[in-house]
Amino acid sequence: MNQFLGPLDSAQRIPPLQQTRIASFLISAHGALAKQLAINLPGQLKAGWQTELNAQLHREAEIVSLLMRATSWVPDFTLPYQALMWEAAWLPKAIPGISDQVLAMTIDIAALGHAVHGAIRPAALLPEDVSADDPFVVALRRIEFESSRLIQAQIRFLKSDELKPVRAAVSTAVEGRHRQVRKLWAELLAGIGITRHAESAQAEA
Amino acid sequence: MPFLTHGAHRVRYELDGPKDAPAYVLVNGLTQYSELWGAYRDALVSKGFRVATFDLLGQGASDKPELFISQDDQVEALHLLIGELGGGPVFLGGISFGGLITLRYAIEHGDKIAGLVPMSAFAELSPQLMLLGNALRTGLILGGTSYLQDLLLPMNLSDSWLKPLLGNLDAVKRQGWLINDVYALQNLMESFLDFRPLTPLLPRITAPTMILNGEFDFLTPRSLHETLRLGIPDSSLVIIPNAYHAFTLEKAALTADLLARFAEDVLAKRWQGNKAVWIAPDEAGGNMIPFPAGYDHLRAIPVQKATS
Repeated sequence: MNQFLGPLDSAQRIPPLQQTRIASFLISAHGALAKQLAINLPGQLKAGWQTELNAQLHREAEIVSLLMRATSWVPDFTLPYQALMWEAAWLPKAIPGISDQVLAMTIDIAALGHAVHGAIRPAALLPEDVSADDPFVVALRRIEFESSRLIQAQIRFLKSDELKPVRAAVSTAVEGRHRQVRKLWAELLAGIGITRHAESAQAEA
Repeated sequence: MPFLTHGAHRVRYELDGPKDAPAYVLVNGLTQYSELWGAYRDALVSKGFRVATFDLLGQGASDKPELFISQDDQVEALHLLIGELGGGPVFLGGISFGGLITLRYAIEHGDKIAGLVPMSAFAELSPQLMLLGNALRTGLILGGTSYLQDLLLPMNLSDSWLKPLLGNLDAVKRQGWLINDVYALQNLMESFLDFRPLTPLLPRITAPTMILNGEFDFLTPRSLHETLRLGIPDSSLVIIPNAYHAFTLEKAALTADLLARFAEDVLAKRWQGNKAVWIAPDEAGGNMIPFPAGYDHLRAIPVQKATS
């Protein structure tokens, strides 16, 4: 097992099968966030902070679009099964301890966003000698960079005073989504010969 | 890789050196990880100490709580680690954020330690430090870990350390960037949102205390260390010449030597804090020099102290 993607080809690019699997996972996760935001974003914004949700919707869609174009795709017969499993994982979940279903769904979307933007670090998989000009490499770096900005909306909401009365339930929901996302990510990476100790440890904890 | 368990979280630690020896526990700064104490492990173990290092919650290989990391939890994790060391004398050192955690530990569990070494530390957020902290947090949010590192490197290290690395800074930053996550660093920074100054509690620290401050520390300047010197009864302030905030990285041999000498002095009952001010030698093994009498150690130019 390696810590980084590779072996690189003669042009210092990531192997196409690794590109295909990573891009598929990221498209599934960010695509799910885009869909959930599209459904839940109010037609008429009621509060200032909701403007960030509109931006998020379009940035998630941009990530999907970017990966579609930047990836060197190859056929992979494992993908249909894996994609089904991922899509099922992203479905909204009830949150024990929160009876207001609208609030619970909003918290769950934010928890999933926090996990996808915080726990998945695709650029940290890149070896030092990878081609800096390869579109897939640039895409992974861009996604990780954007994720650290996108997560700010989730942080603001999940840590807000508004949720203080249900903080324990919120923390449990976020921990659960992180565990789930880390586990799926670690499994995906294991399938292409990558192990990252911290992710494996937290996924197993 | 051993782990301690604190609540639902795991704390990664490492112990080196003989089990029955006096121990040094070293606490990381905010963006650090325990491997950065490698030179201290080697130096202190060779001088007969046991050395304990660990990743704080939110750092490195320790768990990274998703939303909140309280400083109380860090103190509890440290308490667990010190509990692993048995009953021998324990010396506690920490740099910057880690220095703050050691101060909190010494206030709450002073009976557990034989000596304390806060380095580049602070007990309160001065307006400068608070605004710098806010700006660094904004830098992290907008530019990620790499940009935070870009801000901290020139602020905390000297030209002579940076110059030979200028063409290779990405490699210097890479391990810290790989091992630390933005949201976790942000949580560590946001543990200051409800911070209350420790200054009124400093007199509770009964352990002998050697306060180390870099001569040119910009982030936590002399005045913040002076608060510690005045508040901690059995303390001395030692100024590290030509050093910046991250002198534990830049001057590891000298600092490890100072740590060893401090512990040896305490164990031999030679230590006298007296709230004295000293200048450390340039190199390990050199002599400490008392700060010149009559001059103000808070100034960067030789200004005579006002006579009261």
